[in-house]
Amino acid sequence: MPQTPPVIDIVQASQQSITAILNKIESVVLGKPKECRLALACLLAQGHLLIEDLPGMGKTTLAHVLATTLGLSYQRTQFTNDLLPADVVGFSIFDNETNRFELHKGPIFNQVVLADEINRASPKTQSALLEAMAEQQVSIDGITHELPMPFFVIATQNPLFHAGTYPLPESQLDRFMMRLSLGFPDLKAEKQILLNTSQRTNQTSADSKGNSKADNEAVIAEAELIVMQDAVTQVSVSNDVLEYIIALSHVSRRVYNGHISPVNNADAIASEISCKPLSPRASKALLQAAKAMAFIDNRDYVLPDDVQAVFYVVCQHRLEMQPNRQLDPSQLESSSVARQILNSVDVLNPLGY
Amino acid sequence: MIFFKNKSKKVSADTVGGVKRQTKSKAKSNFYLSRKNAWLLWLCQCLNISVIALELSTWMLAIIALSLAWQALLLHQGREKGNSLSKNNPATGQTHRKNSRQDHQHIFRQSIGQNTRQKKQQATNVSPIVLGIFALLGCVAIVITAKQVGILASMLHLLCFSYALKGFELRSRSDFYQLQLLGLFVLAASLIFRQDLAFSLITFALLVLNLAVLLQFFSFEKAFVTNIKVVIVLLGQSAILAIVLFLVFPRLSPFWQVPLAKSAETGLSDTVKPGDIANLTRSTKLAFRADFGQQKVPNYSLLYWRAMVLEEYDGRQWSRQHKSTRNKTAVAAKNFSFDNSATEISPLSYQVIVEPSFQKYLFALAPAVVTGDAKGIQAQADHTFNNSKIISQAKSYRLTSYLTAPLTLELTKQSRQLNLSYPQGSNPRLEQLALQLQHNYVDVQARAQAVLNIINKENYSYTLQPPLLDNNSLDQFFFDTQAGFCVHYASVFTFVMRASGIPARMVTGYLGGEYNGVTNTGDNTGQLANKGHLSIYQYDAHAWSEIWVEGKGWLRVDPTSAVDPERVNSGWSTQLLQQQSELNNDLFSLYRMKNIAWLNALRLQFDALDYQWTRWVIGFTSKQQYDLFKNWFGKMVSWKLALIIAVSLVISMSMLMLFLHLLNRSKTKPQSLTKWQVIYQKAMGKLAKQGMEKPLSMTVNDFAKQVRQQCPELAIVFTRLSASYNRLCYQMLSTNEQEKLMLTMQQQYQQFVQVLKIIDKKSSRLYSYI
Repeated sequence: MPQTPPVIDIVQASQQSITAILNKIESVVLGKPKECRLALACLLAQGHLLIEDLPGMGKTTLAHVLATTLGLSYQRTQFTNDLLPADVVGFSIFDNETNRFELHKGPIFNQVVLADEINRASPKTQSALLEAMAEQQVSIDGITHELPMPFFVIATQNPLFHAGTYPLPESQLDRFMMRLSLGFPDLKAEKQILLNTSQRTNQTSADSKGNSKADNEAVIAEAELIVMQDAVTQVSVSNDVLEYIIALSHVSRRVYNGHISPVNNADAIASEISCKPLSPRASKALLQAAKAMAFIDNRDYVLPDDVQAVFYVVCQHRLEMQPNRQLDPSQLESSSVARQILNSVDVLNPLGY
Repeated sequence: MIFFKNKSKKVSADTVGGVKRQTKSKAKSNFYLSRKNAWLLWLCQCLNISVIALELSTWMLAIIALSLAWQALLLHQGREKGNSLSKNNPATGQTHRKNSRQDHQHIFRQSIGQNTRQKKQQATNVSPIVLGIFALLGCVAIVITAKQVGILASMLHLLCFSYALKGFELRSRSDFYQLQLLGLFVLAASLIFRQDLAFSLITFALLVLNLAVLLQFFSFEKAFVTNIKVVIVLLGQSAILAIVLFLVFPRLSPFWQVPLAKSAETGLSDTVKPGDIANLTRSTKLAFRADFGQQKVPNYSLLYWRAMVLEEYDGRQWSRQHKSTRNKTAVAAKNFSFDNSATEISPLSYQVIVEPSFQKYLFALAPAVVTGDAKGIQAQADHTFNNSKIISQAKSYRLTSYLTAPLTLELTKQSRQLNLSYPQGSNPRLEQLALQLQHNYVDVQARAQAVLNIINKENYSYTLQPPLLDNNSLDQFFFDTQAGFCVHYASVFTFVMRASGIPARMVTGYLGGEYNGVTNTGDNTGQLANKGHLSIYQYDAHAWSEIWVEGKGWLRVDPTSAVDPERVNSGWSTQLLQQQSELNNDLFSLYRMKNIAWLNALRLQFDALDYQWTRWVIGFTSKQQYDLFKNWFGKMVSWKLALIIAVSLVISMSMLMLFLHLLNRSKTKPQSLTKWQVIYQKAMGKLAKQGMEKPLSMTVNDFAKQVRQQCPELAIVFTRLSASYNRLCYQMLSTNEQEKLMLTMQQQYQQFVQVLKIIDKKSSRLYSYI
């Protein structure tokens, strides 16, 4: 318990900046406070974010505003089907003057990489991101290059039924901590968006003139972000919450294992859930995301509420049998596999004592 | 009986119902067994039927076998279709066409249906019309034969018939249950006829198998072996209840009529002609057991277990006295009581446990008196014992015998006349011999000895395969074939005695028995402690003679001893055993068993177990039960008995529940609830009474919100309580902080309770206003 005082201090100290960040994001992505919080939680938990939605729903806007608000170096790469891995990672080029190969760094050498429409790229290019996301390093011509810290990949993708998309393989989906979906704005928000459009065009014209970018101002410094990320990892987790997470993942594995796991309650419900099993990486991500949520909520301990809040976004894309059929109306959150699993586990008594 | 009828009615009604259902909606079934389960069920059916097969008529067996084979065929076809469907083989159509040509139309119809259905679907559905007609015909046949075979057997036929047919219409889950229940019923019914240990074990094994199939249906993902284990564990757990029920459940006498047709199957019969008992000796079935307790078992040659005295001879066979004449002697029988004070011979007390023989006669070493409970046992004037009813269940009784005491010193005129009569001229050569002997030997016993000498000296042989005699002629045997079994010798001897003027009679029963001393234990006092028992099998059946000698009463003379002394002194000779095993042509014949030491030891061990089973489990009659209660609770009154039964049932049930509860608890609940958990649970319980229940998957905070919405008065207190709970549960706190927070939480809980009370009062006031 020696770390407890510093953590709670950091948590309380960070609240102001967190509120500021959230305000900033919400002022750009209108009417989506929940999604904004989740996206922030994902970055605080050092996870990569996948935003999936129809075109024009504000995916890129969200990614953009996240990067700028946190004061990170940011580059956007539009993924297309002829994009090559070298275009993302970078390549060595022969310099005639120095007679040497010089590394030409790709967009991945930024702190925030926005991979726009990731599922339009060929699988080869998609997998180039893989090493970078998992190891925070890339190998070019046999030389390993460390990537800058902190490093995020924010990817956006169109639903699979759109023309010209390659589905992300499960292995790659698993590397994204969260998959967000913004959804249509409500009436009020949409009105606001329409109003803002004219303002923004004004602003961009001002930008082009080289004036100060009100939109792109960083709220916190990079160092502060790293402190917050450290604090998130130190958020305490009680045994009950750990068991809750374990119970959730066990429910998903039950069908896969073919035998009854220690979780005994609601067998009947669980037997009807058909899903892919959650890997330990998934439960790790779940825990980390829950910690970040607790942090945002001004707590130094995780509640089951945090787990529930992030469960859908963290786990749904790992659970779905057809992960890319996301916009199917039957796949609403209320009837999703993730929701079924949540419903089948007792919060107070997760392992079914 | 009524139960049987209801059952069958229900089944047949169901068949009719099935027809309607089928016509309305073309077999829209959402129930199906996996192939493995279907085969297992089929196997279960076969085994269950086979247990009871011996009691069924041949024609019924044939029908059942036919329908089972048909089911197997359908199952097999279902698999083929499934395979061909999965392969998408073009040959499928051909096989179907072939099937339809070969088999009945309904299979064709079914096969078309099968095409569209899932391949997993069970294939044992047959056109209900055909099935209905078949069932109807079967029932008619059962009714027609009912008079011959008796009510029990016909009900059994109906049961088995419906069991076999039910397999055709497994359309819904309830059909499956019915089939399972019928199977268990068949198993239970088979215990009516046999209750020995081996059979009970087989039945139990089948019970396990049946239940495992049932379990398999629900937990298909587990291996069948694991399911069997689970069933055994479950049955083991329910053993407590079974034992209590066994002890306290009222013993009802069987309310069905015992079939008379069975009576002549095994055991001795009322009449004996030469060649009869030889057939009996092929059987290795148990006849009865005798337990001598601590006393020494008499020598083999003294163990003449008398069953029947046959006094009438018509030239062909020996039979018991006719009823009319017996009634006259009944007066004597009533007066008969053995004067045991006069004898100085040491009495021999023993218990006899008779296997169901479907006869009335009992076994005794004469002369004997019944000690202990003599209810239902009638002593006859000829020193035999009869049961008042046909022995259809194992029966035990206690006797005291005085082995060397004389039998019936006085002979009535009537009885003398009866025991001297024989059809004149039936066996002229023997009569001639008798006259000769009468001439040569004046002394009665010398005359008898002379006959024995002839048998001994001449070239007579003792064999299980006596040559057939024309018209049961004793002459032919004695002078020509000279080979026979005990009945031959006894018949001849008795005949000659009668012809030479000595009252003589034929006695049938058993000789000897196998002493099973497996349970023998040496007493530390050095005394010989006998703890074994004597098993008497059917092959110990024997016949001998008794002659009446003035002053000595009836004397036992066994002519068999003259031809084969070994038989009388120590049992069967090896030669006879060999003969028997050849006759039986049995791999596990007694002869071979006895030759292999360990096998024999095993056999004896099992026999001892079976004895204990018969004695303690099957022999636990209403009287024993009554005695037991008497021992435990003193004098019995009927209300007291009922009370004991009820109380013990309740206690045992609750004990069982408690035991299971503890067992499950200890398995799944290693840690106890913490204090705050207890408090929160209590609060939740209170809220649940108010109609606010927390869904399992709802978090504490969300629930607090819900409470806030539903019951604003409680909002503040409950939210506080929830917050404390959350912190206690999920925050890392030092023990100090925990204690502090715990105290606050307790206070919060009290506040919560108070607020709740106020709300209650308000609402009740509200109600009172209304």
